[in-house]
Amino acid sequence: MAREIGSPEKQAEFLKDQGNQYFKKGKLGAAIEAYTQAIDLCPKVPAFWTNRALCYKKRSEWDKAERDCLKALKLDNSLTKAHYILGLALLEREQYHDATNHLEKALDLGRGGSAGSYMVEEIWLELAKARYTEWQVEAAKRQRQQRELKDSLFDLMMQDYENKLRDLKLESSTEQAQFGYRDPNRVSHLTDEEVSAYHIERHPVKESQVTAEERRKAELFQLTGDFQDRLRTMEEVFDKAGAPDRPGEVPDYLCCQISMDIFRDPVITPSGVTYERSILLEHLCKVGKFDPITRATLHPEQVAPNLAVKDAVQTFLSQNGWAYKM
Amino acid sequence: MSSSGYGQKEKVLSRIAANRLQKELTEWQVNPPCGFRHRVTDSLQRWIIEVHGAPNTLYEGEEFHLQVDFPEHYPMEAPQVVFMQIPPLHPHIYSNGHICLDILYDSWSPAMTVSSICISILSMLSSSTVKARPPDDDQYVRNCRNGRSPKETRWWFHDDKV
Repeated sequence: MAREIGSPEKQAEFLKDQGNQYFKKGKLGAAIEAYTQAIDLCPKVPAFWTNRALCYKKRSEWDKAERDCLKALKLDNSLTKAHYILGLALLEREQYHDATNHLEKALDLGRGGSAGSYMVEEIWLELAKARYTEWQVEAAKRQRQQRELKDSLFDLMMQDYENKLRDLKLESSTEQAQFGYRDPNRVSHLTDEEVSAYHIERHPVKESQVTAEERRKAELFQLTGDFQDRLRTMEEVFDKAGAPDRPGEVPDYLCCQISMDIFRDPVITPSGVTYERSILLEHLCKVGKFDPITRATLHPEQVAPNLAVKDAVQTFLSQNGWAYKM
Repeated sequence: MSSSGYGQKEKVLSRIAANRLQKELTEWQVNPPCGFRHRVTDSLQRWIIEVHGAPNTLYEGEEFHLQVDFPEHYPMEAPQVVFMQIPPLHPHIYSNGHICLDILYDSWSPAMTVSSICISILSMLSSSTVKARPPDDDQYVRNCRNGRSPKETRWWFHDDKV
């Protein structure tokens, strides 16, 4: 009679524990072996897949890590670790869009996680790096497009201005022809008689000549003024359009007063102050059981997520990609 | 005396510490506390700060130097703050530069900054009514001769008034 061997579930659990031991010792090959056996016995346990994915991640075998994460997520779509590793694997393939989606999801799921498995900061750093790269590429593209648009608008406006200017000159020269106008610069080449003749000849038309000349000057003035106004307005419009892509300051209310960095997982204390969760918990553990700013007594279980600030941060980051810079 | 003997065992700043100090330095450059000047060095981990005695106080016209050393896990741990060279004559400041100020030790909070420490120190100086060393100066300084950090001192804080 064969000795009773535990159920497949128990055997698989045992193999997983073995795998974890190997993993801790850095024996990745043996760990992968153990997890693979566990998966063969019980392919429906997501943790076996994510643990093996973690080994593949450590060995930079991203294709395999990706496959295991997809398996795990099919079993359970709320696994922080699987979204995180999958995000990293996709980053390796330069699939920035999908990668950041999974990292974002991992960050969402990881917020408020328990101390032992808390990986928000780790996820944040990877996400920030990816988002920053993404922003750099997009911002450069936007800048180029805006510059090109601005240049061609300038050319069009310049053309229009020159056309109008020419029309005005044409108009005036027609007028000049009508009034028998002669270029005064040529006066010096004329004989005295001619000069007096010129003046006499010119005299009768003087009034209307001046009026036309003044009207022409006023029109010219108006035309140039309009053109300059439009140029200024265009500068302003493009300046505003480019503003979100110019790195600036993250507002203080979106930063933890201890880390002085933008919030990843903001929590609020009974005193009404918001801190970065991991930083506040570290303070409560190492420094003392008090609110760092108000010094009111504070215990870890009294802090609550600040969802409004979390959303405000998300909105700010979606509009100011430069703020992902670490 | 030289205070550079302290903190030889200090480890490099953690990522969080370096990040925060960089932000503090930037903020300081834009908006320095009145009466202080950060002396530019290439070290983020040790700041040298000039202190100018406030007008209409016992220390008007005097200049002192603070040396601020940051631990690996700043701001979870207070920085070490001492006066260099000739420290101000003050009932809470020892002749070796150590400062008896609760926020630097037991009452530290990570929400405090170099800037807020500086303001506390200047206010401690400004409210002084007598220029004298602490009564136990000789004994304390003798005890610290081996280069002990003030953070290792078991402080009893003189009083809250000054």
